[in-house]
Parts: sequence; structure tokens; C-alpha cells
Amino acid sequence: MSHTAKPTALKMGIPIPNSKLGLWLFLGTEIMFFTAFIGSYIVLRLGSRGWPTDPHDTHINVFAGGVNTFVLIVSSYLVVVAHEAMAQRRFAKARTYLLGTLILAFLFLGIKSVEYYGKISHDILPGHIAETSSQAIRKASRELEVVVRNRFAEYTDSGAVSTDRPNDIVNLVVQIAALPSATAPEGVSESTFKALQESAPADAELYSKWMNLHQHIVAEASLTVPATGPEYLAAREKLKAGEKLPALEYSEVESLLSELKSDEKYGAYVASGVFDMHPLVYGNIFASMYFLMTGFHAIHVIVGMILFAVVLKEGSKLNETWTDFVENSGLYWHFVDLVWIFLFPLLYII
Amino acid sequence: MSHDAHGSHTAHADHESHDTHHVNYLAIFGILCVCTALSVIFDVIHLNKALTILLVLSVAVTKALCVMMFFMHLKFEGNWKFVLLAPTTILAIGLPLALYPDVGASYYTQTAPQVTNWADEISAYQAEQAKHGEHAESAETPAPAHAE
Repeated sequence: MSHTAKPTALKMGIPIPNSKLGLWLFLGTEIMFFTAFIGSYIVLRLGSRGWPTDPHDTHINVFAGGVNTFVLIVSSYLVVVAHEAMAQRRFAKARTYLLGTLILAFLFLGIKSVEYYGKISHDILPGHIAETSSQAIRKASRELEVVVRNRFAEYTDSGAVSTDRPNDIVNLVVQIAALPSATAPEGVSESTFKALQESAPADAELYSKWMNLHQHIVAEASLTVPATGPEYLAAREKLKAGEKLPALEYSEVESLLSELKSDEKYGAYVASGVFDMHPLVYGNIFASMYFLMTGFHAIHVIVGMILFAVVLKEGSKLNETWTDFVENSGLYWHFVDLVWIFLFPLLYII
Repeated sequence: MSHDAHGSHTAHADHESHDTHHVNYLAIFGILCVCTALSVIFDVIHLNKALTILLVLSVAVTKALCVMMFFMHLKFEGNWKFVLLAPTTILAIGLPLALYPDVGASYYTQTAPQVTNWADEISAYQAEQAKHGEHAESAETPAPAHAE
């Protein structure tokens, strides 16, 4: 290999390895990829007065985000020193640093999944969030219906109640209410049937609680007044022109739910199936942006981990032919760090 | 090892062009850690909103510059870095500016009921629309959404 001080006139291009040029071009597209999200987020947020920022509502944990920022910075530092060690031909040292980076990447994803779990366990998911009180009431009623239907499925699945219309909930509740005085049908074990007979009154009661709420939602009437039957019609008769029955209030439904959740018979089912009522204006678009940006960032973290694993797979055979690869994956990793440096204040603080 | 020693010389020579600069990476790392701590502190002490935004974004830009200049070695690269990065940066800044007039103004109302079963609801809606089309005179105006 000859060492010419200056490139000859025929030498074209930029004085960096092709792989590095390619990586930088790729990072150029990555900048646009992430700023498309970050830019949309900023624009959507500016257009949404009352964007949710209270950590109590959003379940955003600034300390988890801060620790994750720190984790990525340490890993970025380790990549830099790993590349330095590669250039100095200290390959064992470089491997140790890269292993450290890989472990920190796992740690980052671990903390991220704890954060995701915090959102999922409160139903902070795109499309799931009630944005107004009336949506929150309807959402709670839908969730309560699912709880009731799941309870009823125990009766139909075991064969204690037979029906050709499993979705006809009224038909089911009539049969379930009559269960305590019925005899076990063929093929249903005595002990199963006895247990179902014992739980039947509670489940029928839970059904009536849900149905009562449902009827009040349909009638748009407060739980303090009847919503069906002759009493309801009589109450409506008495109204003067322009008058309305008292409206269903958010707080009424909230206290009904906490009452149901603390019930000793079916409270556990309600508590596990019905989320805390929590209207959150612009919560859905917030959740979309949060999961879109942190999700794509996490995918980039995983890709970086694969790159480092490829280097580490070389084991003690790691040599100078990998120096450019380590530099390029390091550049990519710094970019992943860079994205997080902006996501952290934008999502967790502002 | 003699092979390694020989390789070391050429590898070193190859990298000499862009590896001669000495950066105190530990110091940069220290700055980044302090900046991260500052971001969290600015959030926890509850300053006024505009000031917090200004402070944490300045901290983020500082951190980004540190990472780009020193960890990514952009400070020591040739002018190709501008050719490569200027267009994407300009487009990246242009995107939010282009979107702002359309979307940055309030863009959707949250008072409509949540859609829970899209396929059924859209076919019910279309059936309703078709009915209204036939009896245009008797068509009722849609009930207003439940405002809070």
C-alpha cells in the first residue's frame, strides 16, 4: 500500500469509507423519518388545547424517562470508547465495552416495557380512551357488560345453561336466575353445578346492576330517577314543556362503579374488568403519538442490539476488519441516542 | 503476534487521517449526564411553562450538539457533512411549518361518541344516509353530540 500525501486528480468522492458514507446517507433519511413524527407531534399538540400533561392522567414517569436517558448516554459513551479501542487494536477491551452497550440496551428496553405496562394497565391506548364524561360513562358500561357476559359464559361453557343464542343476554339471565331451583342437566358434574347454583344469584344481580346503568344511559336520565317502565313514563308525563329529567352525572356512575368494585360477591370481577373512569381530552392522539414515537425508537434500539451482537459473535476472533463496522454501528447508535435526547423532553417534560 | 504488529502499523496509518484528534470522551459524557439531571430538575421544580420549555429544549440541543460533534465526530469531518445533512435538516424543519396551517389549528372535536365497532357502525350510518336520501323532506337533523 503506497502512502500518497494527496489524492491524485483521478480520485473521486469523499475521503471516508464507502460504508460510512452509506451510513450517513441512511442517517439523513432517518432524520427525516423521525422528524416527521416529532414535527407531527408538535403540530398536533399545538392544535389541541388541553393536551394531557398531568403525569397522574398520562402515567408518564419522568424519572423512568430520565433514567433511560442516562442509560442511553452511558451506552453511547461505551460505543465511542469501544471504537477507540478497536482503532488502538485493543479488541478484548472493545468487546467488553460493546457487551456493556448491549446490556444497557436490554436495560433500556426493560425500563421501557415497565412504562408500557403502566399505560396498558390503565388502558392508556390509542382509541381506548374516553375523552369526555359521557364517553367515560359509556366506556364503563361497555366494560361492565363484558364482565357480565364473561360471567355468563361460565354457565353456558359448562353446559349448566343451554342456549342456542349465547348472545341473547336476557334469555341467559332468566335461565341463570332460575338455576338455584333447577337440577343438573346430563353431562354436568354435580360439584360444578352446585358451585354455579351458588354464584347464580350474585351474577344475576350484577346483570341487573349493569342493565339498570345501561337503561339510564339510553334514557339519559340520572340514576336517582327510574329509566324504564311505568314509573319512567309517569315521570316523563309530569314534565312541563322544555323540561328534562335530571341528566346522568359522571359522579353518580363513578360512585356506582366503586360500590360494585367493593362488593364482596362480584367486586373482584368488576375491579379486574372495568378500568377507573378517567376522561382525558386528546388522550387518544396523545397515546397514538407516544406509542408511535417510543415504539419506533424501541425498534431502532433492537436493530442496534443486533448490530452489536453481530460484532460480539466474533468473540476472540474480533480483528481490525471490524473497525469500520463498529464505527458505523456506533454512529447509528449515537443517532438512536440523539432521537431519545429529543423525545425525552418532548414527551416526558413539556 | 508478528502479523498483528504488522497489521497495527497499516491500520493505524489508514486511520490516522481522521483519528488524530483527541477528545476527552469522559468529559463529554460528564456534560451529558449533568444536562440530563438538569432536564429532570427543571421538570420537578415546576417553573412557569414557557420557561421550562425553553430550558429543557436548550438542554436537549446542547446534548444533541455534544453527541453529534464529539461522539459522532462531526466536528472533525470534512465539509461533506453539510452537503449531506443540510437538505434533510431543511426538509425536517419545513415539515412542521407546512403542516401547521392545516393541522396546527384545532383539528378534531372529542365530543362525538367513541367508535367501538367500526364496521357495524359505518354500515348502520350508510343505511341511515340512504334512508335520508329517499325521504329528504322528512329527514331529521342528526341529534347533536352530547356536549359536556
